[in-house]
Amino acid sequence: MNELSKPPVPGIGLTAKYPELGTGPVDTAIYHQPEIYAKEMEAIFKRSWYMIGRVEQIPKPGDFFTSYMPTFRQEVLVCRDREGSVNAFHNVCTHRGNVVEHRPSGHSNGLFMCRFHGWSYDLKGNLARIRDEEGFFGIDKACNGLKTVPMGIWEGFIWVSSVDDPHQSLGEFLGEQGADTAGYPWGDCTQFYQFETEIDCNWKLVNDSPAEVYHIPVLHPNSAAPTMMASGNTMGRLLDAEIKGNHRTNSHYSVMGEPKPVQKLAYFHAAAAQNVAVDEKGYELPKGINPARSPWWTVDLIMFFPTIGFTLSAGMYTAHQVWPVGPNKSIYQQRVFVRPARTAAERFGQENTMVEFRDVVMEDFSTLERIQRALDSGQIRQFHYHDHELALRHQHKVVTDILAQYDREQAGDAA
Amino acid sequence: MSGVLPPGFAVAEPFVADWVLPDAAARMAKRQSSRIEDLRRFYGVMLPLGEAALAHLRDFELGSVPEDSERLLKLMLALAEVAPAVEWYNDPRVYDGFPVERIRYLRQIPDTAAQA
Repeated sequence: MNELSKPPVPGIGLTAKYPELGTGPVDTAIYHQPEIYAKEMEAIFKRSWYMIGRVEQIPKPGDFFTSYMPTFRQEVLVCRDREGSVNAFHNVCTHRGNVVEHRPSGHSNGLFMCRFHGWSYDLKGNLARIRDEEGFFGIDKACNGLKTVPMGIWEGFIWVSSVDDPHQSLGEFLGEQGADTAGYPWGDCTQFYQFETEIDCNWKLVNDSPAEVYHIPVLHPNSAAPTMMASGNTMGRLLDAEIKGNHRTNSHYSVMGEPKPVQKLAYFHAAAAQNVAVDEKGYELPKGINPARSPWWTVDLIMFFPTIGFTLSAGMYTAHQVWPVGPNKSIYQQRVFVRPARTAAERFGQENTMVEFRDVVMEDFSTLERIQRALDSGQIRQFHYHDHELALRHQHKVVTDILAQYDREQAGDAA
Repeated sequence: MSGVLPPGFAVAEPFVADWVLPDAAARMAKRQSSRIEDLRRFYGVMLPLGEAALAHLRDFELGSVPEDSERLLKLMLALAEVAPAVEWYNDPRVYDGFPVERIRYLRQIPDTAAQA
């Protein structure tokens, strides 16, 4: 054991860095009221960008994947054209509205053919062929191609907007958080697992779940706690938290405790796929990751408000994404991104990482529908946030401020 | 002539029929539908083989894993699935957890294919 293995327990004082957030209890109305959710749809969700995949999913011209955005009930088709550009379209046939491409992913020979009546579109979305065209009454093919979806790429992630005329550019939306975390080797983790589940809770509760670690010693006593809370951090404090506009980052203090037997096998034989890995490539992390440059850092939660966060270590990352579908209903999607395994032994490390993350998330999510019932029934009307639950207090303030601003906009329009 | 498992791993052969499964979703379902006593028995046999198994599997590149070693890899992947049940929960299910049967895998990493 060297000196670094005995770090000081993090102190109280994160909230004091951001006096505008206040310190009092907060009203829980934004977590359940239908009229607030309806306003969030206009003021927040229709003004945001959504990550739907990565460029590595479509390496070659003709490669495609489809995506469904539950919040907006929109189908999207993403493909790479012959010039190598990535294009995103509404996956809706302009004839009668069926999806043009029904498969989740694949390779197109250059035409997407709707399986309803056989209208075909090329990789740039042009309507190339109408079956039995002479039976129509003068359709202008040039005006009936697939409608494009506003799309942008950041660090290999493909982001789209649900509206034709985005409120902000993708770059503006990602802001300082995007700039400060660019340069992490996002694209090295080419392999990913993805799973989803529907949860009867408000979207903010899903975001809250990984956004504080105050709960770790209690909710995760045998899983995450022994590795995350070693060396006396028994209260589950963060190393640091930083707010960047609507976005925020939590840095996690951690010293490896004694791993469990199967973990030990994975860490030793397949370290690259583990969230405790120290990167062997020796690259410098971008300034937005482990911003405090602490030697006791292991993991950051990089949150892009409103719906996606990355739990990220030096060697791998997971993406937590929530799709709001009602005031008390959400779709959660998790992707676990790991580096490619070369050998069969390394493959074991990938599986171990995925199973651990999945089960820890199942522990986290035990609370969500229970809390939502207490909210919906009026059994809890205030939340009390600990100093190290700063991220939740920040999210509450961001939502409240955006809704107030939206009300002013509406009043101004009416005046 | 290759055996069911590579030489030295015969003690795990009784588990091949039940625990060599097509993918992660099938392994998750198998864990959930098993009794903890059966998970402990599988874990108890596989864990002591773990070091030797991974040392063996280190010599095989994904995409060209012989059948007997592929079965051994799949048993090790099942060990990864079973480990939390035995080490964390003493129960097939996540203790007091969100019901894992409510999740759907949308994408998995293939067990044995070469990875780019």
